[in-house]
Amino acid sequence: MAKHTGRGIAAIEYPTGMNQNGDPSQCWIKVKPDGRVDVFAGTADIGNGSKTIQSQIVAETIGVPYDWITYDNSNTDSSPVCTGTFASRATFVAGKAAEKAALQVKQKILEIAGKEMEIDPADLEIVDGEVLAKGAPQTKLSVGDVAAAATWGHGELITGTGAQLKPYAAIIDPETGEVDLPPHSAISYAACSAEVEVDDETGEVRVTHLKQCYDVGRALNPSHVEGQIEGGAMMGLGLGILEDCYPYYPSVEHRGGAFGSYLAPGMEDMPQIDTIMIENPSADGPYGAKGIGEMANNPQPPAIAAAVFDAVGVWVTELPITPERVLRALEAKAEPRREGKKVVFDEELSVNAVSSGGMRFEVPA
Amino acid sequence: MKVVGARVPRYDGVAHVTGRTTYVDDVRIPGTLWAKALRSPVHHAAITKLDTTKAESMPGVHAVITWKDVPLLEYGHLSALGIPADEPLLAKDEVRYLGQPIALVAAESEEFAAAAVDTIEIGFEERPALLDIRQAFDSEAPKIHQWGNWYPHFEGEMDRRQIRKGDIDWAFENADTIVQGVYRPAAIEHAPIETQVCQVVPEPDGRLTIYSCTQALYFSLGVVAAHLQQPLNKFKLVGGTTGGGFGGKVDTATETITCLLVMKAKRPVKWRWTREEEFLCSSTRAPWHMELATAVTKDGWILGQKMLTLHDSGAYARFSPYGLTKHSFHHTGAYSIPNLHFDGYVVFTNRTPTTAMRGFGVTSVSFAVETQLSRIASELGIDPIEIRLRNANRIGDTSPNGIAYTDPSTVDTIQEIAAAIGHELPADYRTMTNEPRSGELLPEHLVSQVGSTEGH
Repeated sequence: MAKHTGRGIAAIEYPTGMNQNGDPSQCWIKVKPDGRVDVFAGTADIGNGSKTIQSQIVAETIGVPYDWITYDNSNTDSSPVCTGTFASRATFVAGKAAEKAALQVKQKILEIAGKEMEIDPADLEIVDGEVLAKGAPQTKLSVGDVAAAATWGHGELITGTGAQLKPYAAIIDPETGEVDLPPHSAISYAACSAEVEVDDETGEVRVTHLKQCYDVGRALNPSHVEGQIEGGAMMGLGLGILEDCYPYYPSVEHRGGAFGSYLAPGMEDMPQIDTIMIENPSADGPYGAKGIGEMANNPQPPAIAAAVFDAVGVWVTELPITPERVLRALEAKAEPRREGKKVVFDEELSVNAVSSGGMRFEVPA
Repeated sequence: MKVVGARVPRYDGVAHVTGRTTYVDDVRIPGTLWAKALRSPVHHAAITKLDTTKAESMPGVHAVITWKDVPLLEYGHLSALGIPADEPLLAKDEVRYLGQPIALVAAESEEFAAAAVDTIEIGFEERPALLDIRQAFDSEAPKIHQWGNWYPHFEGEMDRRQIRKGDIDWAFENADTIVQGVYRPAAIEHAPIETQVCQVVPEPDGRLTIYSCTQALYFSLGVVAAHLQQPLNKFKLVGGTTGGGFGGKVDTATETITCLLVMKAKRPVKWRWTREEEFLCSSTRAPWHMELATAVTKDGWILGQKMLTLHDSGAYARFSPYGLTKHSFHHTGAYSIPNLHFDGYVVFTNRTPTTAMRGFGVTSVSFAVETQLSRIASELGIDPIEIRLRNANRIGDTSPNGIAYTDPSTVDTIQEIAAAIGHELPADYRTMTNEPRSGELLPEHLVSQVGSTEGH
C-alpha cells in the first residue's frame, strides 16, 4: 500500500465566438462636455471581466486614461444588442464592437480639435487625454477642451457606434459537414501537464501541480487572463476527480441537492498552478486577443487521467476519477482485448455491450 | 499601448469584494409578491388532473398561473438557427423530468406561496423513464419525446450530425494499430453562488421592468417577448451583473414566468430559487458518451478516426443540437487527422435538461481525444509529447469540415510545456514550428494524407 506519483500531458484547441458565427455585438459611446467617456454595451459581466476589458479597449483606442471611462451594461433601454456572454465571445466579439465605436469617437474628437487648433486632423493624435500635433507635441489641446468646444461652441455631440458580426456559416452538405464559410473565428490553443499522487489503498487522487501554457492571442489584461486560466483549472480539476450530478450515472439516485452533498473543489484541493501565456495574435480580435475563458477547464481532465495511468497503471475513462473508480480499476486490472491489429479498451462501456441492438459502433479491421 | 496589456484594476472589483454590488436578489421593490413553483415530483408521467381553484383562494395569494396563461407556450431558443421548439414553458399534458415546473403562485410571502402550491390538485399517471442514452435506440426503449428518442431535425432532416472527410477505409486498412476506447465525462452542476432569480415590476406606462441574472440580456429579452407575443419595447431588462454564470444563465429560466405572474397579479413579483431547486431543477452540463477508434501507424501518425457520440440532452433539446454541432466541428482536437467518420446524436432522457456550460461541446472532445492519444502513445511505446507534436495541426492543415487553420499554436504550447517539465525533446521536435510540415518527419506514403506540406 503506497502513494504513487504520475504525470500526464494534454493539448487542446478551442474556438472563439459562437460556432458558425452569426452572433452580433454592438456598442455606442458618448462623450461628456469635459471629455469623460460613457460606454453603452449589452454585454453581461458574469465574472469574466468584460466591463474592465471593454473599458480598457475604449480608453486605449481613443487615447484617454482608463479612469475616464464609465461603462454601462445595465439595461436594454440604453444599451444595444449583445448576443451574450458565452462561447468565449465577450472580449473578442463585443470587445471588437467597442473598439470600432471608440475609433469613431476618436475621429470625431480629432475633427473638432482640428477646427479648434486649425490643423489638419490627419496631423493630430490623442495621447493620455490630450490632442497633440504630430511631431510638435507642445502644440496641444486637452480632450476635455475639445469636448467642451463641441458642446458649447460647435453644437455637436461626440459619439461613436460599432457593431461586430461575422456572417452565419451554413452547413451546405449535411452528409459531410461541409460549410459555406469558416464556422469559427480565432482558435486558441493550450497544453497542460498534470502531476498527481494516487493512494492505492484509498483510491484517492490528489492533483499536486498543473503547468499550463495558453496562446491567448493578446493578453489585454494579464491579471484577468491569469484569473480565467487558474479559475478554469480548478473547474477542470473538479470535472476530473470530484464533480458529478449523478454519482451512479445513468441512475438518478444519490443526486446531491446542496453544496454539502455535491463535491465541488475547495481551496484544499488547489494544486500549485504555473501559468505560461504566449501571444500569437488573432487577425480579427481587438488588439489581437483570442477568447480563452471557456477552454480553461478543458485540458485538466485528460491530463489527470493520463497522470493516474502513469501513477498506478489503470485507465479511468468515466469522469470523475473517484476513489471508488480507481479502486475498482486497480482490482479489475483490465487489459484491452487484442485481436489482429486492434486494441480494444472499455468494451463493457460500449453501446455494443449495453444496447440490445438499436445502435452499434462498428470498426473496420 | 498603455491601457491595453496593463494590469488595470477590475472595474467592479471593489464593489464585489466589499459586498456592495447589487445583484438581482438585492433589489427591493415595495409591494413585491413572492413566487413559488409546483414542480413535477416524478421523472415521467401524464398529467391527468390540474386544478388550482383552492390555491387561488388561499390567504395572501394574488396570482396562480399554468400553461393556459402563456400566449406562446413553446418557443425554441435556437429558432434562428432552424432548431424548432419542443419545450413548454409550463408543463401541459405531461412531465418529462423531476422538477419540471407546472404551476406558479405569487403571494404576499414565500410561505403563503408555498402553502398555496401545496393545495394545487394534480393527478399523474406515471410512465417508464428513459435514463441510459445507450438504450434510447433499443426497440423496447420507452418513447419519451414527441420527436422520438433522439433529435431528428439536423440539416436535411437528418437524425444525426455527420462529418465525413477523406477515405476512412484507407486509413483503417493502412493502419498498423487500431485503438478503441470509450469516454464518458459526467453531468456537472453550474453551482453559481447566485441561484436563478428574477424580479419584475409593472410600470405605470404598461411596460415591465425585468431585473434579470441572465448572461445574455438581449437573448433573454427576445425569449420573453416571443413567449408573451409582445414587441421588444414592452420590456426593459435590467442586469448585466451576474452572480456566477457558466452557461446555465443563458436558459432564461425565470424571466417569462415572473412576467406572467406580474401581468396577472398587477403587482411586482420576485421569484428566487432555493439552493435545492438550483441543484435539482436547473440545467446541468451534459453527460456525454464517446466511442473512438483511431487508426495509427507504428511510429504514431494518426491516419484516421471514427467516432460515435451520444449527447445526453435530458428531457428537451434546449441548446444541445448547437453543442453537438460544435463538438463535431472540433472532434479532432488540436490535431490534423486526414480521414474522418463522425456520427453524433442528441439523445433525450428523463433527466433535467442539459445546457451550455463552459467549453460547451468541446470539453468532452478534449477529454476523449486526449485520453485516447495518451493510450495510443502508451500502446505504441512513443513519448506522449512527441506523438502530440507529430500530429499537431499546422498552418494550412484543415479542420474536420475542411477549413484551413490560419493561426495554430499547438506546437508552441506543447514545446513550452515540455520545457516547463524539463522534458528534453529530440532536435526534430525542438525545432518544429507551426508552419506547414517541411517533410523531414513525414514518411513519403503519408505526404498526400497528412495535412499540408511544404516542398512536396
